[in-house]
Amino acid sequence: MAPARLSKSLLGSFRATSLRPATARQQCCYHSYEYTQPPPFPPAESAILSAAISHVPSYGFTSNALKLGARDAGYLDVSTNLLPRGVFDLINYHLVTQRLALKDSVQFPPQDQPGTGKKLGVGAKALAIMAQPSYVPTSVAELARLADEIWFLAGDASVDTSWYTKRASLSAIYSATEVFMTQDRSKNFAETEQFLDARLEDVMKVGGFLGAFGEWMNYTGHSAVNVLRSKGVRI
Amino acid sequence: MPPRLRLIALRQFPTRPALQFRIQLQRRFTSSSAAPPEIYDVACVGGGPAGLSLLTGLRNSKITSGLKVALIEGQDLHKNRLPKHASLDGFSNRCSSLTPASVKNLEEIGAWSHASRPRIQPYQEMQPTTIAYMIENTNITTTLLSRLSELGGVDIFSPQKVDSISLGTETPSLDLSSWPIIALSSGKTLAARLLVGADGANSPVRTFAGIPSRGFDYNRHGVVASLKLSGPGWGGPDHKIAYQRFLPTGPIAMLPLPGNSASLVWSTTPERAAVLKSLPEHDFVAMVNAGFRLSVTDLEHLHTMPSGQVEEVAWREKATPIDARSIPQPVTAVQSGTVASFPLKLRHADTYTGERVALVGDAAHTIHPLAGQGLNQGQGDAAALVSTIEQAVLTGQDIGSVLALEGYNSERYAANNAMLGVCDKLHRLYSVESGPVVGLRSWGLKAVDAMGPLKGFFMSRAAGGA
Repeated sequence: MAPARLSKSLLGSFRATSLRPATARQQCCYHSYEYTQPPPFPPAESAILSAAISHVPSYGFTSNALKLGARDAGYLDVSTNLLPRGVFDLINYHLVTQRLALKDSVQFPPQDQPGTGKKLGVGAKALAIMAQPSYVPTSVAELARLADEIWFLAGDASVDTSWYTKRASLSAIYSATEVFMTQDRSKNFAETEQFLDARLEDVMKVGGFLGAFGEWMNYTGHSAVNVLRSKGVRI
Repeated sequence: MPPRLRLIALRQFPTRPALQFRIQLQRRFTSSSAAPPEIYDVACVGGGPAGLSLLTGLRNSKITSGLKVALIEGQDLHKNRLPKHASLDGFSNRCSSLTPASVKNLEEIGAWSHASRPRIQPYQEMQPTTIAYMIENTNITTTLLSRLSELGGVDIFSPQKVDSISLGTETPSLDLSSWPIIALSSGKTLAARLLVGADGANSPVRTFAGIPSRGFDYNRHGVVASLKLSGPGWGGPDHKIAYQRFLPTGPIAMLPLPGNSASLVWSTTPERAAVLKSLPEHDFVAMVNAGFRLSVTDLEHLHTMPSGQVEEVAWREKATPIDARSIPQPVTAVQSGTVASFPLKLRHADTYTGERVALVGDAAHTIHPLAGQGLNQGQGDAAALVSTIEQAVLTGQDIGSVLALEGYNSERYAANNAMLGVCDKLHRLYSVESGPVVGLRSWGLKAVDAMGPLKGFFMSRAAGGA
């Protein structure tokens, strides 16, 4: 009965999306120059969260920061109920806005100069909150969107299966690096940068190996057919 | 005139004007061209060792000597001939190792006696391959040309480039619509019953026949040079040894030439090849010596130095234990102007034959040079194609038909594919720097050394003639 169940659950998720209120943000799930994305958060939420973010440096990703943010924005403390997931919404807001700001801050330096990277991390406690089972789907989706954004900004226009593998490998590296970063006590996160470079090199190696292997398999397959043909087998 | 012809055509075939227009155009073309193409039984494009061997074989055989054959070569064949009494001090950097099977074939077509013997070096030992003859490529072509001019009967178009190859047309007296027509740079056109492509890796004949060629680049360059050693070799002038050391970047091979001379083939990365080529001569010599003596780490460092390798190698050699007799004698000089490099790749055409087309040599396959088999494969192709054509002539077949040529493809394809595969795997086995393959490699090396199946494979290929 597995297929039936699968289709039912698919239908369920379809219904869920189609039953969303009209005010729900209509999102385009791919990058297009023809289409501008609507703001990701409604105005009230956005006001509270943006004010709350300014308190994060002193209070961390906590409900205190949220309350202070609500007050700053001219709302009552109780209006943080607009954000049912509480602190997670604050983390999510930070990630989404940083991701969307990426395209304005990313600059491609001339070939010989080292790039000025942008650090986009949230810290150990935030990672712990993101890893709570009920928040995992949203966290993973945000990670996927980030990977997608980075590849898009890097000018990747692939339309084959490498579209998926590229995003998957980048997501894996990103999350591994972030975990590493939470334990990194070195100045300016120098060790994190080393860790990241090493992981990127690994991927390049594996990618190069897979590419060469594919080329070799293609040749070997054809030559096997050609040998049979040369011996008179009609294939 | 042409517009009126076209109008008539349109009136006659109102439903298919496009087709008729095309035919009219072609007719106009043939009637306006100066002379009809000269018809040949076999036209060979490319006068390298494979092409010349094929033509010599055809002329030498009693069965096929009646065929009208032509040779088309872009370079001046006679200008590139080896001078009769060339000095033994200098050797060309393009050398090959001829296996006994290839030599036997050259003997059978009567060419071997024309070879300049003092310039050929037979050798008896090779780690890990086998006995063969080192010979300059120009010596092979000169040998074959001498035999060809002795046999006579070949129309040689040299130096003349092939302008285009296209299919012929049908005229009331002659139907050449399936025949390749070769237009030469002199304006002459030849029609070939069988067009042989011996025209190298970027074969225009293969392109004309629409035969795809598959493979990959190794991202390695072969650095070649003609060297002078400090002596005639550890075995003396009568017992020459070829050496090959497998480095992670690729094998370095030193092959004996007469006297104190030797030929170098060093497969390495394009970056390192560029470094080697840019070095002053004495530093290049030191690098070659280091290539056989020093550790991989030492070599890596030496490649980063812009100059001064002589002192560095001398210093490092003191700290490296060397069994002098298991490596070639030290290189003392490199013949100036002989350091060159070429990219290494593997290519194999999907088939060697098509309608009125056959491919031989590099036009059909390009191989990694680590076993020195490229030229021998071409010689094998030529011999096999000669016997296939003989068979077709004996049985009264059209020598250009796919059916008549089938035997050639079936005889050579699998054999060449196996050789390409073995050399490819050897290259891969030795180019991996880490992981479980390194363990596998030392096992492989032992197997080869201990007359394992691989050595047996090379031995049978070298001597057996397959």
